[in-house]
Amino acid sequence: MTLGIGLVGAGNMAATHATGWEEAGDRVTHVLGTGSRRAADLASNLDADVATSYGELLAAVDVVDICSPTDTHLDYIRQAAAVGVPIVCEKPLGRTPAEAWEAVAVCETAQVPLLIAHVVRFFPDYAGARQRVLAGDIGQVAVMRLDRSTHFPMREGLWFSDHARSGGVVLDLMIHDIDYARWVAGEVTRVYARQAQAAGSGGHALATLRHAGGALTHIQASWDFPRGSFRTSLEIAGADGLLTIHASEPFASIDSSDVEESEIPQPPTTLAESPYVTQMRHFSAVLHGTAEPIVSASDGAAAVAICDAVARSIETGAAIELEVAG
Amino acid sequence: MRAGIFGVGHVHSESYAGNLRNSPGVEFVGASDSDPAMLAGWAARHDAAGYSSDEELIAEGVDFGIVCSPTNAHLPTVERMAAAGVHVLCEKPLATNVADARRIVEVCEQAGVKLMTAFPMRFSPSLTSGADWIEQGRIGDVLAITGTNRGHLPTDYAPWFADKELAGGGAVMDHTVHLADIIRWWLGIEPEEVFAETNHVLHPQVDVETGGLVTLGFSDGVFATIDCSWSRPHNFPTWGGLEIEVVGTEGVFTIDAFAQRFDLWSQGGTSWVDWGSDTNQLMIDHFAGAVRGEHDLFVTGEDGLRATEIALAAYRSAEAGQPVAI
Repeated sequence: MTLGIGLVGAGNMAATHATGWEEAGDRVTHVLGTGSRRAADLASNLDADVATSYGELLAAVDVVDICSPTDTHLDYIRQAAAVGVPIVCEKPLGRTPAEAWEAVAVCETAQVPLLIAHVVRFFPDYAGARQRVLAGDIGQVAVMRLDRSTHFPMREGLWFSDHARSGGVVLDLMIHDIDYARWVAGEVTRVYARQAQAAGSGGHALATLRHAGGALTHIQASWDFPRGSFRTSLEIAGADGLLTIHASEPFASIDSSDVEESEIPQPPTTLAESPYVTQMRHFSAVLHGTAEPIVSASDGAAAVAICDAVARSIETGAAIELEVAG
Repeated sequence: MRAGIFGVGHVHSESYAGNLRNSPGVEFVGASDSDPAMLAGWAARHDAAGYSSDEELIAEGVDFGIVCSPTNAHLPTVERMAAAGVHVLCEKPLATNVADARRIVEVCEQAGVKLMTAFPMRFSPSLTSGADWIEQGRIGDVLAITGTNRGHLPTDYAPWFADKELAGGGAVMDHTVHLADIIRWWLGIEPEEVFAETNHVLHPQVDVETGGLVTLGFSDGVFATIDCSWSRPHNFPTWGGLEIEVVGTEGVFTIDAFAQRFDLWSQGGTSWVDWGSDTNQLMIDHFAGAVRGEHDLFVTGEDGLRATEIALAAYRSAEAGQPVAI
């Protein structure tokens, strides 16, 4: 059965998700548009209808896919859960831990699936590295280093340049590696972080995480790298070995003159299938009842809670202890 | 000018013998050590004279010496050298506690002998380029720095590296000081705050911390992290390495201080063979030149004291679970 998907949001991620749904054999039938030109254009590109209200969209689709600004997620989730429509939500699940945990709770109560798009879990290098760790190839995880460094898109009115809406570089970008670190090394018990305060910074943060099992993780998240660059790197040192992934693309060879200043960066992938497509295939399989979710709703909320602790550490200058949920 | 090596407990003494022999105008006298077996092996390997005490080596008439004993033995040796008017090039860290490190600086001052801390990375041409780029503002204002100085478990050479009493600690004591010194050198200011997380997942057979992530905070909002973990497996192609990346408002640069190497695949395994400039040689030539009165010291005892203070602050922070002032 082909699922009819309703898209909320018409930005960069909405378009990426739409491609993924199509590859997965499902179809975006509706795009929520309240007069926005971008929504109308996206709907037209996808041969989908524009729904003029969220209620209309929910009534017409099998699944809602929320790719709107972070601070709007909870409202959309509440309403979808109330009418029993399964939800896919772009990361971060919420702007605050309270919002994220409420989203988890309402979906649990309503018994509505809530799938969080933490796409890094679908990158074969990252997923494969975790498999090697689980297989015991490098022993117990000791020190992990994760890095996600790119430029900040210079565009007027871009919502994620508004810290109040997006949570800045920590909640929007570092969350990828925070979720991954927790996925590989377990619950996080303490964080310490610093973020560049200079006016000339687009957003640059370094965090140290301590995990319940004793592992340490160092994460760099940066929007201060040169235009056109998107570097990710991963290294896991374990008691019995070391696993490293080198930058996914040769950093030095990127020609930034080809990159528009306004372009929203995505990690480069030289793969036959984009991990964004792999992710949507997985969500489709979960919604068809043929797979268990790789990312639970509470994983999404836990990642937001860790980001919040990182932000509080940056704000206060202190290390922040976390209550481990569950 | 005559020079000796005081103590052969430090692995660097293995290279220094050749460096002293190659240094123009320097005559290598021999090495002292109170451990007869260790000294005999060393003397045989280097075809050099061995002396069973510092006094015997001093009595041979030496103008300067390199202190390569275990860290807690530096102070008594430096006191003997200073009293005899012998100039001191001392291995890092200077001491296992701040009082001893300060005393080393004082006794040399009072005796009027030159004291330099063995920070060969100060003479690395690539790291010197980094200092120049920062000074010239090539990447705008510095926002943050990440450094890694990871290595093998050093106890393969001598067990004292993992003896808290003799070394003052483990990986933090061993591998924080080089990067702390480079970062102080590059920024030209002192850190105000130190945070550290340490763990002991790697190499459970030793009794000290083997993993560590240290963050330094500077007055102008710049921050830096140092990964000092002994996280290179025994079959890693070389002993370890030192890498540093600086993110600024106008750009980014990354330096692998040991990138000038061959990758050598032999039937027995893979190794990295350095072909870059010999920073130990440059350091010793510089010190010999300073002793001859040709120039001022580029690295002082004070620099060694500051780096030692940073490493010791990292232990205080790890203990407290919070950043500490320095």
